[in-house]
Amino acid sequence: MTIKSIWLEGLWDRNPGLIQLLGLCPLLAVSNTLENAIGLGLATLLVLVLSNASISLIRHLVNENIRLPVFVLVIGALTTCAELLIQALDYSLYKSLGIFLPLIVTNCLILGRAEALARRESFMVSTMDGLAQGLGFFLVLVILGALRESLSETLILVASPPGAFITLGLLVAIHQSIQNYPSSRLKKSSSEIKENRRVRTTGEIS
Amino acid sequence: MTIRLALFGLVTSFCVGLVYLVTAPLIVESKEAARLKHLYELALPLLETGIIGLPVAVNLPDTAPAALANPLIVTPITDTKGLIGTIFPFETSEGYGGRIQLLIALDRARHIIGVRANDHKETPGLGDKIEVRRSDWILGFNQLKYSDMEPAAWAVKEDGGRFDVFTGATITPRAVVGALRDTLAFLENHPEVLEVGP
Repeated sequence: MTIKSIWLEGLWDRNPGLIQLLGLCPLLAVSNTLENAIGLGLATLLVLVLSNASISLIRHLVNENIRLPVFVLVIGALTTCAELLIQALDYSLYKSLGIFLPLIVTNCLILGRAEALARRESFMVSTMDGLAQGLGFFLVLVILGALRESLSETLILVASPPGAFITLGLLVAIHQSIQNYPSSRLKKSSSEIKENRRVRTTGEIS
Repeated sequence: MTIRLALFGLVTSFCVGLVYLVTAPLIVESKEAARLKHLYELALPLLETGIIGLPVAVNLPDTAPAALANPLIVTPITDTKGLIGTIFPFETSEGYGGRIQLLIALDRARHIIGVRANDHKETPGLGDKIEVRRSDWILGFNQLKYSDMEPAAWAVKEDGGRFDVFTGATITPRAVVGALRDTLAFLENHPEVLEVGP
């Protein structure tokens, strides 16, 4: 795994918000305003980087049997810490994020990265991957938040939960059409392989 | 491996405990700041002429409802002629998520200037509509006075009163209205409690 491929995967090729479609619950619920989106995006980024880093550090200490409980333990502890920190530093943000802050613990992106990558790779690679994936998630959350907040006055639908779905769908469609454009023109054969990669998976891509 | 798992549990709990110890004083501070912000918001209509005075602890008679802490911390608002209003906390333990702490501002004639929910654990999206930032519901008490309405009207609509409930959350508004009714009814009989002016 090269550094370049880690960043490319997190930010574009396998973006958690647009390709893997992980962590949809906070993505849709908290993207109603830009401020909320930035707050939850940063909190998720922090938890993801720290969880990837610490799971990579302890990867030789856990075997198959206790792997999952230990990962959940680590992620749960980190989320609680993030919750306490946000409560201490920005109480009004803590209040407006509400239930979605503790729910970071159930964000499948975080356990997904722990399972798929951090439990095998070195500390450096895992941390970098957490940063890249977290940033990819953060960016989608912020773009969605900015779009919904700015459009909500002209288009009431965008502010509602179904509107979040539709807006995210449009973003996914734009992402796909950009990604498919050169491949469909230049090399038709490789587009089939790409199609397979788009299956929602948290595991290794074979 | 079981021991190892237990050890992981201990280590992570220890880390959370550590962060808790570091952040606990900061959290108390930010809660206090949020409370003061509400207090200021409530006092605002009276601040054209008045100023916020120092809080006074008032001992309540035994007939005081559970909604009021004893002693009650009353913040007076005064102008050059004397007391023009008071702000004090009240609470209810009947909320869906337990305790709800609120602030209320009354003018001298005990008309409600405003009510705000401070600290609560009500269900997000349902019961948390008592917060002014999520819904206007709590502004519906503004300008009301206990003796201007039938006592039975001080209840949620489901109980024959005049206050709305939220779709999917009856318990929270019922708790808030109940605590407010108890508080105001008590003050109707004991108006001297709020005479904390200079």
